[in-house]
Amino acid sequence: MVGPLIPMGVIPEAWNNVIALLLGAGFGFTLEASGFSSSRKIMGTFFGYDFVVLRVFFTAAVTAMTGIIYFDYMGWMDASLLYINPYYVMSAIVGGIIMGLGFALGGFCPGTSFTGVAIGKIDALFFTIGLFIGVFVFSELYPLFDALYNSQNLGGAKIYDLLGMRQNVFAFLLIVAAVGMFYFAGVVEKKVKKVEY
Amino acid sequence: MNKRYLFLAVVVVLLGIGMLFMPGTNDNKQVNPELLLSAIDDPSRFLTTDDITDRLVKQDPALLLLDVRPASEFGSFSIPGSVNLPVDSLLSAPAMEMLKQDAKDKVFCSNSDVTANQAWIISKRLGIKRIYVMQGGINQWFNTIVKDTKPAESASSKTIELYQFRVAACQHFYGSPEMAAAPKTEVKKTVTVVKKASGAASGGGC
Repeated sequence: MVGPLIPMGVIPEAWNNVIALLLGAGFGFTLEASGFSSSRKIMGTFFGYDFVVLRVFFTAAVTAMTGIIYFDYMGWMDASLLYINPYYVMSAIVGGIIMGLGFALGGFCPGTSFTGVAIGKIDALFFTIGLFIGVFVFSELYPLFDALYNSQNLGGAKIYDLLGMRQNVFAFLLIVAAVGMFYFAGVVEKKVKKVEY
Repeated sequence: MNKRYLFLAVVVVLLGIGMLFMPGTNDNKQVNPELLLSAIDDPSRFLTTDDITDRLVKQDPALLLLDVRPASEFGSFSIPGSVNLPVDSLLSAPAMEMLKQDAKDKVFCSNSDVTANQAWIISKRLGIKRIYVMQGGINQWFNTIVKDTKPAESASSKTIELYQFRVAACQHFYGSPEMAAAPKTEVKKTVTVVKKASGAASGGGC
């Protein structure tokens, strides 16, 4: 049975940053290759002419989920050792609204803005500068946000537990929903006027 | 629609249907195996017989000395103040009540370390806190407390003090070592754990 490699000590802790750098470079390359460095492509999801963001992220989620469930079932890995980000209800809602507004205004999310900078996009460059200003302001004013930031921690909450569902039933429904969404997105894309970019 | 997309959609839906027929994972709440392993390696669970004796003599209320040998062996010889909890009944409801007293140091002892260690590991995996093992078990206790050999006159004062402590402890328990070795005619102790009702108000007081 294998768990996450670094906490299990299979890979030494010192390799953590090196592996993170390699994975990050791979992630950035794939984002760029899928056209995510273009803010217009990303904005297509909001205006209905290009659903590549939805496709890529749901495909990634469904693939990873299916892999984890089957690997866990086969005994190749122990899914219970995976780190699950704690769920802070209020900060997730507030942060989600801010993130969404910035996404719709700027046309980038933090990851894609760096791929934009890497290929020399000026809008991405300004977006990234804004990103660092935001990080700086948040860090300086952290005491003000502290209470909100750390409130209502539900720990590693899982959606199927909250719904009282079996994990695998939820996974199946998510797959069906994703395939349905892919089909629906294709229908919408055909109806909406093509945007050249 | 593109045939490739159709094929991928069918594959992923089939995989999803496969998930529906998987047996549910049994989410046993127990200590992480790795933590358990490091806890097993950690010798801090061992308490010496002298330490236990000291606490028994002082009648430390936080000490719960659990003898995990079968009741028959417990009947023929036991450490005064110990409670019989055979390892095969460790998971019974009254035993769990006894082990779940968080304010007490539960110390397992058996003839040697083996059975006491087994009881310790079972309890550890159940997440019970403050559990220990009496190192060397009852044999060690008998050899050190009851039948300790007198150190040479030239021995260090520490050794002589320890010997005096052991002799005094033995006298405290038995009067003399001969009486300890004598077969016990005492009636077998039965332990009943009074379970406090969960919602019960604390007694006494105004």
